[in-house]
Amino acid sequence: MRERLFLVLMYAVLGAFALFCFIPFWIVFINSFADESLLQTAGYQLLPSKFSLHAYKFLLSGKQVFLSYGITIIVTIAGTALGVLLTAAYAYTLSHRKVKYRHILSFLTFLTMLFGAGLVGFYMLIANWLHLKDSVWALILPYLLNPFYAFILVSYYRTLPYELNEAATVDGANDLYIFFRIIWPIALPVIATVSLFYALQYWNDWYLSLLFIDNHKMLPLQMMIRQLMSNLNVMAYVSGSQTQYNVVVPTYGMQLAIVCVTIGPIVFVYPFIQRFFIKGLTLGSVKG
Amino acid sequence: MERRRRFGGSFVHELSRNRYLYLLALPGIAFLVVFAYMPMAGHLLAFQDYRLSDGIWGSEWVGFKNFEFFFNGKDWLRVTLNTVFLNALFLVTGLGSAVVLAIFLNEIRNRLFKRITQSFIFLPYFISWLVVSMMTLTLFSTSEGLINRALAALGYEGVDWYLMPSVWPYILTVISAWKIAGYNSIIFLAVITGISSEYYESARIEGASRMQQMLYITLPLMRPTVMILALLGIGRIFYGDFGMIYAIIGDNGILFPTTDVIDTYAFRALRQLGNFSMSAAVVVYQSCMGLVTILIFNAIARKVDADSRLF
Repeated sequence: MRERLFLVLMYAVLGAFALFCFIPFWIVFINSFADESLLQTAGYQLLPSKFSLHAYKFLLSGKQVFLSYGITIIVTIAGTALGVLLTAAYAYTLSHRKVKYRHILSFLTFLTMLFGAGLVGFYMLIANWLHLKDSVWALILPYLLNPFYAFILVSYYRTLPYELNEAATVDGANDLYIFFRIIWPIALPVIATVSLFYALQYWNDWYLSLLFIDNHKMLPLQMMIRQLMSNLNVMAYVSGSQTQYNVVVPTYGMQLAIVCVTIGPIVFVYPFIQRFFIKGLTLGSVKG
Repeated sequence: MERRRRFGGSFVHELSRNRYLYLLALPGIAFLVVFAYMPMAGHLLAFQDYRLSDGIWGSEWVGFKNFEFFFNGKDWLRVTLNTVFLNALFLVTGLGSAVVLAIFLNEIRNRLFKRITQSFIFLPYFISWLVVSMMTLTLFSTSEGLINRALAALGYEGVDWYLMPSVWPYILTVISAWKIAGYNSIIFLAVITGISSEYYESARIEGASRMQQMLYITLPLMRPTVMILALLGIGRIFYGDFGMIYAIIGDNGILFPTTDVIDTYAFRALRQLGNFSMSAAVVVYQSCMGLVTILIFNAIARKVDADSRLF
């Protein structure tokens, strides 16, 4: 009897938490289709009574959303590709028992997780020394090597039999060949997991654009959300033209619409990538 | 002399013998040098009266003046306490709710229910803090927010949430648990799945109930992982989650008394006041406190449970 009650409690708690996680998504999604006048008078609702596509039409009629989408896609693709290549290669050296200085390298990598460089030095490096303000490189370069993902790869490489390496060496292959032709294909599932982590980080980042992007043509999607949330003159911002007073600007609706446009791709691929993430997380935690 | 040559020789020998392996690591090493170690020179600015025109080597050295200025003001205590208090709340609720979710998920036998639940609680992890801040606005906005509308429908007065500093530590805590609990619960679930079923079988033979199995087998065996995550969290207790707090609170000065953390303070000093030296002093203070904390807690963890230490 007590067991049964406990089981019911578990279902209730899990169900409630799942609902609690889902509701904010629902509110944003359904209200982005709500009529602007309804949003202004009745506020956000669980089920709006009047629907319209006005917010989306307005958002997509301007250039800004396409510019921002382009920047975000470029940064995500280039950042993920470069980051994964760099991390996978770097981690391979850290894991290789032939490498004498691997412990020093590992320690120097681990140290950066504990003792950060700090905001000021980082800002000066990008802005004043490398002169990367208002450049896509400022959005790509700083995240290329994530120590945590490197260590996930190191722990995976260590599980591979060393005989693979020896056999290839006997056959006359050098380490570059071994890495790209033998290790990389075997490690592909883990590399794919790490790629997803990098892609998510690049897609969702707004810290770098907050610090280094002033030119609105270079703003990624996330910063566009921020601009739309704080910028009252939405019309001028989105279309780049002078404000037209004869059109009602759907301010509330557009804030929600841009959020949906931003998370749309993630929610769309979510069912496919969720398992990968879980696999990657499991690997990372078993390493400990 | 002999020794030195042999050392230099072995260094060059090692590099040339494994030249392809070091070549593979070269971009990563270059990254660490440029993006992780070079910016540490920024800490020097804390001891200078930095002027952009004079550069880091041309500016005047002023010793601890920036620190004196920071510690003489009333802000330092506020931001320190806020940072530690908020992070402690986030850590306890984030890990606590994840442990509960993982244990419950593990007990659930209905596959469909389990999969749907897991998908939903993991979903918030995938979105950015700016999206979260928009969602927060839809709930807490004074005139349009769902909560105030619900209160009005029930006949209560609406609350000006964005003007009330006292409630935000708790709202932020709930949001933080909302976003991270699903992610952490998957880590814990992996640990639980890794527990040998023999423990449970012998416990069942001894007549242990499900609740007893949970309390005396599952929980103790999860401890090392919980401890490691807690240690990592404690190590970062002086680092506020800038992305989260700046997205949700932004420049709303009314909420600063309870939500301004060291990171947002340093950010404002740098970006809005343009005071590089002051910002650097704050960051040096933060780094030192962080390092001391992690050393202390790692030592404690080593005493309590050798498997749980970080290094």
